Amino acid sequence: MKIGYYPGCTLKTKAKNLEDAAIKSMAALGYEMVELDRWNCCGAVYSLADDDLVHFLAPVRDLIRAHDQGFDKVVTLCSMCYNTLARANLLMRDDEVKRDALNDFMEEENDYKGEVEVVHLLNFIRDEIGWDKLRDAVKVPLEGLNFAPYYGCTLTRPEEVGIDSPKDPVVFQAFIEAIGGNIVDFPASQTCCGSYQIISNPEAAKATTLEILTSASDAKADALVLSCPLCEYNIGRRQDEIIKGNDKLENLPTFYFTQLLAIALGLPIEDLKLELNTNSTKAFLEQKGLPALA
Amino acid sequence: MSDTAVVTEEVQEVKAEMVPVYIMGKRYDVPNSLTIMKAMEYAGYQYIRGAGCRGGVCGACATVYRLPGDYHIRVGLACQTVVEPNMYLTQIPFFPANRAVYDWENIKGEAEEVFQAYPELFRCLACNACTKVCPMDVPVMDYVAAIKRGDLEKAAELSFDCIQCGLCATRCMAEMAQYHIAQMVRRINGKFIAPHSEHCHKQVEAIKSGYYTDKIKEVMELGTVDPFDDSTKTDKIDKLIELYKARETEPHTAVEDWKPESDFALLK
Amino acid sequence: MPYPDSLKQLIKKVEETRPERIVKKKAGEEFPALSLDDRGKVLQAFHPDVKEEGRRAIEIGPNKGYRIANEMVDLLEAKSRVNPEDVDLSNVDYETDVLVIGGGGAGTAAALLAQEQGAKVIIATKLRHGDANTMMAEGGIQAATKGWKDSPYYHYLDVMGGGHFTNKPELVETLTNEAPDVIRWLLEMGCNFSKYPDGILKTMHGGGTSRKRMHYAADITGAEMMRTVRDESRNRPDDITVIEFSPAVELILNDKGHCAGAVLYNMETAEYVVVKAKSVVMATGGSGRLHVQNFMTTNHYGATGDGIVIAYRAGVPICFLHTIQYHPTGVIFPEQAEGILITEKFRGAGANLVNVEGNQFVFEREPRDIEAACIIKECVNVNKGVPTPSGKFGIWLDSPMLDAMFGEGYVKKEFPGKHILFSRFGIDIGLEPMLIYPTLHYQNGGLEFQADSTTKIPGLFIAGEVGGGTHGENRLMGNSLLDIMVYGRISGENAGKYALNGAQDGDLSLEHVAKYNAEIEAADIDGSRIAPMLLPDYTLEHVKEKQLTANYEGTMR
Ligand SMILES: Cc1cc2nc3c(=O)[nH]c(=O)nc-3n(C[C@H](O)[C@H](O)[C@H](O)COP(=O)(O)OP(=O)(O)OC[C@H]3O[C@@H](n4cnc5c(N)ncnc54)[C@H](O)[C@@H]3O)c2cc1C
Ligand code: SF4
Ligand code: SF4
Ligand code: FES
Repeated sequence: MKIGYYPGCTLKTKAKNLEDAAIKSMAALGYEMVELDRWNCCGAVYSLADDDLVHFLAPVRDLIRAHDQGFDKVVTLCSMCYNTLARANLLMRDDEVKRDALNDFMEEENDYKGEVEVVHLLNFIRDEIGWDKLRDAVKVPLEGLNFAPYYGCTLTRPEEVGIDSPKDPVVFQAFIEAIGGNIVDFPASQTCCGSYQIISNPEAAKATTLEILTSASDAKADALVLSCPLCEYNIGRRQDEIIKGNDKLENLPTFYFTQLLAIALGLPIEDLKLELNTNSTKAFLEQKGLPALA
Repeated sequence: MSDTAVVTEEVQEVKAEMVPVYIMGKRYDVPNSLTIMKAMEYAGYQYIRGAGCRGGVCGACATVYRLPGDYHIRVGLACQTVVEPNMYLTQIPFFPANRAVYDWENIKGEAEEVFQAYPELFRCLACNACTKVCPMDVPVMDYVAAIKRGDLEKAAELSFDCIQCGLCATRCMAEMAQYHIAQMVRRINGKFIAPHSEHCHKQVEAIKSGYYTDKIKEVMELGTVDPFDDSTKTDKIDKLIELYKARETEPHTAVEDWKPESDFALLK
Repeated sequence: MPYPDSLKQLIKKVEETRPERIVKKKAGEEFPALSLDDRGKVLQAFHPDVKEEGRRAIEIGPNKGYRIANEMVDLLEAKSRVNPEDVDLSNVDYETDVLVIGGGGAGTAAALLAQEQGAKVIIATKLRHGDANTMMAEGGIQAATKGWKDSPYYHYLDVMGGGHFTNKPELVETLTNEAPDVIRWLLEMGCNFSKYPDGILKTMHGGGTSRKRMHYAADITGAEMMRTVRDESRNRPDDITVIEFSPAVELILNDKGHCAGAVLYNMETAEYVVVKAKSVVMATGGSGRLHVQNFMTTNHYGATGDGIVIAYRAGVPICFLHTIQYHPTGVIFPEQAEGILITEKFRGAGANLVNVEGNQFVFEREPRDIEAACIIKECVNVNKGVPTPSGKFGIWLDSPMLDAMFGEGYVKKEFPGKHILFSRFGIDIGLEPMLIYPTLHYQNGGLEFQADSTTKIPGLFIAGEVGGGTHGENRLMGNSLLDIMVYGRISGENAGKYALNGAQDGDLSLEHVAKYNAEIEAADIDGSRIAPMLLPDYTLEHVKEKQLTANYEGTMR
């Protein structure tokens, strides 16, 4: 079965490991992720100014592309893209005045009023495949490994577009459970990673990241599971720098959820694009002999 | 020779219908069959700026116009676009644009290098004004998007028909000069992404090593004809003509690895 | 302007004969090519070059007595634009190592190579950098890059044959030997030549080629080459300065008789400026805008033969200007696109030329001069031209047969530029043939130079279409783009080296100009003409009549 797929820029460059593992895994599950013929950046940061419509052009245009291509759903992997697209979609559904203004401005495109549904891959698996089926498809259950699911802020907030309830989200946990891993609940699982503050206020970003790492290792996690390249940058790539001089903390491996999915489905190691992960992540896998039966 | 050969660039006695056009707001009546460029000349303008190839490939003659009662901005190349009644137009012969200087010898062919040279790429808001204004129907916004996601090959392909007229840059909210960025990307594509042409290098080596030298010297020896001196049509020239006539011609439908019957003066 | 009904009816005849023509083509049965004898005959009878009233002998200068086109003689027998005594040579506006005159392909390649020798370079050009014939070339560039079936040897033979065996052997040798290296150089600069997935460069035939060696970048080969070298020159702003809208109007010599710069004319402010240089590369290109015998032309707006005029004055002889290349296939309908070139690649790919009855009358891959003469003959003498609505005659170029042979969409894919051009007029050239007629295209001859780009005048180097001898009496398609890169590079390298090592300083002088002016007077030639022309004059009579106080300096006001 074909599903419309919106990748987002980062997945084409720095987070190829988020994308490739997803495409291959979904193929193994019988779904072809069809990348939209034309798409642009999602627009990334959602504008906080109320009347700033300009920032909606990019995400709405992407939704129009998906609609033009005949999809009623568009799946995406990156939390940030998901958030931006979903909020833009909501606006196009609910705010008639702004919808008209945007449609008018983009007169070269077909009119759009939110016909397409924006779906994060986790929800797609939950709703279209189902946990049971996923469990059946798993060839290498990730038994005995403790995974801490990290939602960050953009997967669950604001509530209208969240992939699950912001108060008590379970979808990520259900996913980990289905692929055979142990769930590690930790208090900071929805704490913002600091994301864009990394540029304007690096100290603040460092502090929140430290909080997340501490919280996860206190909860005895073997690894953090992510769905966002920006979070990966802050928590994964900059980890060495952040924990330097802090002898209580050890390196914590970070995975994209799609990579764990690929391991569990028994896909070849190349599909994980591990060269883009941190060294401690690679070392962790080696130590555990994973992907073992690949 | 008859008159059929006599066709000048100048507008001849025109029987065509006259239509009004407004050149920078001022009315002139011109024949309706003319291009904007010829219409401006018909009206009495003499070009210094704003005309280059006169054949639709150099981008010197970008023109912006509107029709009465219509808010749309229209564009065209003055040398290619036929006048419309009541159009009001101006050419945009120059628009300042930022072009990064980069050291080609040390470029490695990575998207990151383009991002560094042109950080303004990431200011694109997907307003699409660039695509709408492009007289070559280049999907400008799409190639900018492709560059941002590091798909330089795609961007090179999408931007290939760009004639660097600069109109996209005049309209860009992100203030970038898309066409300069695309140029850098196409060069990277040509050198680093497109497949390598080994046979060309081989032939360069063969020539440098003198592989063909003797054979070429032999034909050079046969000399040349001075068109104004029949005595130069010597026996040697006959020999040259013989060789010319005898050369084997690759058939039209031949496949790429076709080989002539004789391997004389070829790489073995 | 879609085809009117009258033409649509005639297209039916082309369609009627098409299937049979395709069958023959597929069986390898081509329309017979003319023998060398017959070629000579058709040229003698129908090529515009042989029309005696079209030319006359030059009365002054190094080639006194040489009969060439009236329009060119008019310029060679003209006085300077500016009185040499009025130019203050002691007041130098720009000083540089190498001055390149002409910012087309040859000039830009020269600038790059000169810079690589360590020289400071100024490019002075008439319009914008790159507004040039190079930008317009579509078809391709020849080079024997495929050692298993081709070599400089066969390329050499083809060039000589195309030029009626009149070419200068050393120039041809250099041209064909350097060709693969030029392609390599361009590839390394990031030029996007069309390739197969395995990296083999795509090549096709052109008129007069024995092997498929025409490399191309879709149908904008010249533009792709031009924008690549131009882009690279822009990466070296500290060493390469470009002065636009400032054509050279005179060369400056020094008291030793060496070339030492040029006088430029700023067309926007009407100022004349002096550039002092240790060496000069002349790369001003061709002269189609002279509209010889009133022919339409494919050339860019600035192609007015300036370099020939000013170098001839300084004492450089000319050669092969008695032949001009008429491209066999210029658009004759729709009128808006008149003169625009239809690349030879269509014929290279196998598209037939057919007359009003839908019949072939010439092999589509004859050399250009032969092809043009045959088309003129078919229209003028045999009377089987296709009448256009404006009362002219043309010949069908059967592009749809390419789609029929190579698959639907082939024309659109291989010739996107032409496809768009015609679709703007409501014509789909994948489905309907094009109407063509010969158009003034290339200046076969030019200034005399040697294989190292040097001329009779020390310090003056030649590159590109402005030079003569490489192509003899007739250039083959694809050899000019090659020529400009080969000699652009050689001239740049040698001019750079000469500037840094060999140049001798001396007092600047325009005496040769004063002398030339005096010669004109002595020969009793109409002294009212001035040259170089710089830009053609397309002001119409109805405007001129009312320009009561306009002051025209030659063609420009
Ligand atoms: C439509 C067309 C299609 C062609 N197709 C092909 C093809 O497929 N293959 C092929 O091999 N050849 C082709 N040619 C021929 C080839 O393109 C030209 O011969 C070649 O590009 C000339 O290069 P150049 O650098 O010598 O001159 P140009 O590219 O014309 O450059 C000369 C430059 O000098 C400038 N200039 C002129 N006078 C002065 C002055 N007084 N001072 C300063 N600057 C001046 C001009 O404005 C111009 O910018 C084609 C030509 C045309 C017109
Ligand atoms: S992409 Fe920009 S510069 Fe290129 S042709 Fe289009 S509008 Fe002109
Ligand atoms: S005009 Fe500028 S901001 Fe708008 S889509 Fe094009 S590149 Fe992006
Ligand atoms: S003059 Fe070159 S594109 Fe119009």
